[in-house]
Amino acid sequence: MNEYRFEDLKIGQKEYFSVTVTEEMMKQFLDLSGDSNPLHNDKDFAISQGYQNKVVYGLLTTSFISKLVGVYLPGKYCLLQGVDVKYSKPVYVGDILIVKGVVDELHESVKRAVIKVTIQNQDEKKVVKGKAEIGFLK
Amino acid sequence: MTREEVMKKLNEIFCNVFDDETIVLTDSTNANDIEDWDSLEQINLIVNIENEFGMMFDMAEVSDLANVGEMADLIMRKQAE
Repeated sequence: MNEYRFEDLKIGQKEYFSVTVTEEMMKQFLDLSGDSNPLHNDKDFAISQGYQNKVVYGLLTTSFISKLVGVYLPGKYCLLQGVDVKYSKPVYVGDILIVKGVVDELHESVKRAVIKVTIQNQDEKKVVKGKAEIGFLK
Repeated sequence: MTREEVMKKLNEIFCNVFDDETIVLTDSTNANDIEDWDSLEQINLIVNIENEFGMMFDMAEVSDLANVGEMADLIMRKQAE
C-alpha cells in the first residue's frame, strides 16, 4: 500500500492496476446491493436489449476506484470525499480492466487532491471516466 | 473584474455547489445562513472558487475568512497581485 501524503503528490503523478471481473464478484455485488435487475442477472434479457451478455453493475466497476485511491493514489492516508463518473461502454464478466489514476488538481489551501480516473478494458476502450476528490487523514 | 462582478460569480458558484438557485449572497453571508454549509462543502467551495477565478490561496488565507464579503475582498487582493 502506498502512503502518499498531500505534500508528496505532483500534478501528473500516475498509478494503475488491473483486475478481471468475475462471476463471483457479480454474485457478491448482488448479495451486497440487492440489485436484482435482469440486465445484470439474466443473459437472455441482456441480449434482448442489445448487449453481448449480462452487463456488469456500473457501481461494481466503479468500486475499483475505492482500491485505486485507498491503496495506490494516495493510499493509506486517503479520505475519499467525492466521486464523479460517466459510464462510456458496457463491462462484461471476464473483462480485464485497467484502473488508472492521474493527479489532476492539487489545492494546497484545503489539502484537496483531484484524481482523474479512467478504467479501460482489454481492448483499450474506456469504460469509465471521471474524477475522485481526495482529502487526507492526519 | 469589479467587486460586484466577483460577488455575482461567487453567487453562481454557491448556487452550483449547494445545488440551490435561490441563494442570494451578501457580504455578511456566512455558514450560519446556509444549512448545508459544513466543513466538506467549505472545501468544495474553495476548490470551485480557485478553479473559477484561476487563483490559488494558501491555508492561512482561507482559514480566517468570516463571511462571503471577506472572501470577495481576498479575491480582489489576489487579482491585484
